[in-house]
Amino acid sequence: MVLVKLNIDMIIVRAPLRMSFVGGGTDLPDFYRKYPGRVISTSIDKFVYLSINPSYFINKFIIKYQSTETVDDPMELKHDRFRAALVEMKIKKGIELGSFADIPGKTGLGSSSSFTVALIKGLNALLGKTMSKSEAAEAACRLEIDILKEPIGKQDQYAAAFGGFNIFQFNPDNTVDVEPVLLGFKKRSLFEKNLLLFFTGITRQAASVLGEQRTKIEQNFETYKKMSDSVYEFRDRLLGGDMRGLAAMLHEGWLRKRSLASNVSSSLIDLLYQKGIDNGAWGGKILGAGGGGCLLLIADPERHPGIREGMKKIAEENNLADFKEIPIKFTQSGTDILFNTDHYQV
Amino acid sequence: MENYINRYVEESERALKEVSAREIAKAINIIQSVYERDGRIYIFGNGGSLALATHWVSDFNKTVFSHNLDLHAKRFQAIRVPTTEEELSAWANDVGYDMVFAGPLQNYLQESDCVIAISSSGNSPNIIKAVELAKRRHVSIVGLSGFDGGKLHELADASILVKTEKGKYGIVEGSHAVVLHLITTYFQDYFDHYVGK
Repeated sequence: MVLVKLNIDMIIVRAPLRMSFVGGGTDLPDFYRKYPGRVISTSIDKFVYLSINPSYFINKFIIKYQSTETVDDPMELKHDRFRAALVEMKIKKGIELGSFADIPGKTGLGSSSSFTVALIKGLNALLGKTMSKSEAAEAACRLEIDILKEPIGKQDQYAAAFGGFNIFQFNPDNTVDVEPVLLGFKKRSLFEKNLLLFFTGITRQAASVLGEQRTKIEQNFETYKKMSDSVYEFRDRLLGGDMRGLAAMLHEGWLRKRSLASNVSSSLIDLLYQKGIDNGAWGGKILGAGGGGCLLLIADPERHPGIREGMKKIAEENNLADFKEIPIKFTQSGTDILFNTDHYQV
Repeated sequence: MENYINRYVEESERALKEVSAREIAKAINIIQSVYERDGRIYIFGNGGSLALATHWVSDFNKTVFSHNLDLHAKRFQAIRVPTTEEELSAWANDVGYDMVFAGPLQNYLQESDCVIAISSSGNSPNIIKAVELAKRRHVSIVGLSGFDGGKLHELADASILVKTEKGKYGIVEGSHAVVLHLITTYFQDYFDHYVGK
């Protein structure tokens, strides 16, 4: 259905970041083409925002992120996602785009794909098109994986587009099934209360870790299979409110993941993790591809102050200037157009 | 007479037990996500279903937070469509009865919203028109239907179907009232739990 665009005004779109619990890596095509990959994750209350401002007075593309780029042709843009999206979607000159994020990138919370989903959904709104969650997720995957050739999987795009707790199944025929995990508020807040999230202050490009991981999928195939199959057990423990059980699964998953590529962990990450365990955490993992980013721990809330202290000490001793605890809540909403004054003629 | 009464109660009980808890949970998640992005909930139905819609709006906008109105500046924005009888009669008279919901809804509906459509048959043309409008705009749809669910059952993202014989309006509407109260109560407990009474 073609919608008739009636006016031109700013569009604001936002996409949530995500926390992935079990199954990361099984969303890589080298695996899911042979066996269904599965990931269980949730969106959190940290967002990437994007504003899109078409203006008659700008005869350029003005792109604002950590830097500002002003160009005549989007092909000239250094920012690869902005470049690819603007070129692919044939967006016309006379537009200003700015991105904002609650949390910087490379933290293992899937922010770069959240950004892409927001960008694609926002640019479609600019063209007068609305998108379903699946369409937005798929379009983001195409842009990042097919066009930009990033060696990443599909879980982050889906997590950002759908929002909430979900099991995503990546099928060999490239389709994706989405099974919502319908968690009531009591279990949800119990999990929130038991959980601790720390940004380690160590950053890395997901691609650098995933690159090595991908080349070793064949030799680690059985491990990936186990990871994919274990999402259902994680879901059941989550629905049952079994915090120790969840922590044990994260711990086991983390140990498995460390074995998949040499750079998933480092001695400093191991030190931080061990400190958490020594101070009473039941288990946890590094979020995202690994090599840095955020550390998730599950522990009795009474042990949280001790864990915080211990972690802070290690961070100080190792000059991790950006080390920080990130308080989070789980959310239900996915990538949403928050502001769009266009009313479509339908 | 007592047998008659018991049979009705049993029939209601049976119909309600068959309603999918999973679909109600999905509806709750849809409403939760609308709340997070500060969107609006539009609800509509014909006849008794319109009365259910109006009743639910008053409960949802106020009763959910009534244990502590002062602590919740951010509340739900549930709106019955159309908002006035004048608007309803204007659309019915000037354009056609099948536009009494889609007509007014078209003025409001944004991507950040959701709709709750109530139709016992699931086939009322005016309800389906409004639901199709929401579908085109990729707005999530909660459907409350009865009998065999009709078109509404197929179109809804969360389909709360009260399966009954065709024409059992009382059983269907009674069950819809219970489900709508359940949703209100869930959120009341939710906010009590998170913020306290």
